[in-house]
Amino acid sequence: MRASAIRTVAAAASLAMIGVTAACQRGAEPAAAADPRADAARLQRTNAQLQKQIELAAGKEFYLVLDPATSGLTLMLKGAPLQRFTVLGLQVGHPRVAWTSARDPRHVQSVIWSQGELDPPRQIDRLVIQSAEPGKETPETTPPPIPPTPEELYPVPSRYHVRFADGLSVEILPREADASVGRWAHARAAMAEKWRDILSALRIANRDAIRLRVTLDPKEAQSFYRSLPPAVRLIVLDGEVEAPQPAVTAAEPAAR
Amino acid sequence: MEPLPSSPTGSAPPETASDPDAAARRPAAGPQVAPARNPQAGRRISFSPRTAAVAAGALLLMAVLLTGTGYRYEPYAEQPLIVSSEVPSEARPLQQFTARLRGRQRALSARLDALMPRGVYIVIDQTQNRLYLKRADETLLQAVCSTGSGMVLRESTGRKREWVFDSPRGRFEVRTMLRNPVWRKPDWAFVEESQPIPTNPADRLDYGTLGEYALYFGDGFMIHGTLYERLLGRAVSHGCIRVGRDDLRKVWANSRIGTQIYIY
Repeated sequence: MRASAIRTVAAAASLAMIGVTAACQRGAEPAAAADPRADAARLQRTNAQLQKQIELAAGKEFYLVLDPATSGLTLMLKGAPLQRFTVLGLQVGHPRVAWTSARDPRHVQSVIWSQGELDPPRQIDRLVIQSAEPGKETPETTPPPIPPTPEELYPVPSRYHVRFADGLSVEILPREADASVGRWAHARAAMAEKWRDILSALRIANRDAIRLRVTLDPKEAQSFYRSLPPAVRLIVLDGEVEAPQPAVTAAEPAAR
Repeated sequence: MEPLPSSPTGSAPPETASDPDAAARRPAAGPQVAPARNPQAGRRISFSPRTAAVAAGALLLMAVLLTGTGYRYEPYAEQPLIVSSEVPSEARPLQQFTARLRGRQRALSARLDALMPRGVYIVIDQTQNRLYLKRADETLLQAVCSTGSGMVLRESTGRKREWVFDSPRGRFEVRTMLRNPVWRKPDWAFVEESQPIPTNPADRLDYGTLGEYALYFGDGFMIHGTLYERLLGRAVSHGCIRVGRDDLRKVWANSRIGTQIYIY
């Protein structure tokens, strides 16, 4: 009697399990088979983006392609990838004043952003040499010093922006703070950043209408600052951000 | 003689019992006189608890408002998909519409691929003084190089010309490949060394300074070798791209006339 009851319960439980599994599979079906109209709409958008990429590749300017799906920020010229940076995090910022959002209705994906310039700009101190008269013996001086390396020549701020016309700003943020900097320095830097944000948000004209915060590996953030050409353009491709991947070091010299 | 009540001496008019404002006009005795003698005490009195509370409230309000001012960040989300009215809702027209879109996608992708460089191409990062030899997404070589110093040279006599020693930015291609190149020194090379500019073209020729190979890409610019390999990695050239001997051999071996060069 008891054994048959146990068998009945076990059979019922098995049937219930099969039922739940089947229900789950049925539930998953609609997600797998996408709406054909949505598919068409996505194709339309993909084509629009391809068209924009062709426009960028046909132009003379350097441009950046931010691809959230592959976590890549690539500097390009005429369709050729020049340098790729691994994006470790991506956020979108909108200004707000006194808790009131001043959200820009545009989406960063919708347009090609142009005239991107570094802020603070990369300073170039040019050495000017006035030639001596030909044939005239120049007095013997000490040999010229060895010129500085790029690292010495271009100090990189801890965080910086690439500001585009029409109100987009890409904020480059190194992933890890410099361990050699103390907590007090971090707090000071954070307060200074908050103050700059307040001033920027309060500006009516020329404020960052949309900010795209891109987190990079600190070395890549420095490299990006030193490498970025002037008047760069930007396009953001379709796709969601994937989980952060481990930082990839610069391409290894395969032939060396 | 008695002074008149309105005399210029300024004495107060005589107080009478019938004047009701007299008490109000009379200076108060005791603590009221103190502000004249002690300004600190006066300030303390004007900063009443109510004023302090209002000021503290205003400060708090400002702090709250400033806290809510700045930029609010949220995780990046893809642009929401909007199905436009252009997309047909019936099955058959929708299939045809989607097929057209797929065809267009293939055509656009092919056009984009056609714009990418074919084969090996050279990329030069002139700020960080790096040269890369690439093929599609693969990096074949990463080399240290020397690019333009950015120096300005001014001629003090004659035509008073000025030269800026920058490497150019943009896309170029290898036009000429030279083995054991001979440098035909331009005017600035003599001006820089305070030497008279030669009239005989043969006096401009300089042997050995460009290394084993030179890849000429126009407007006087080349990728070539150097005698000063210890300065590689620093911006010291007059605009050309200097590469170390071993790396130059690899660049030479992988290049041909028409190889694309991208300098940024």
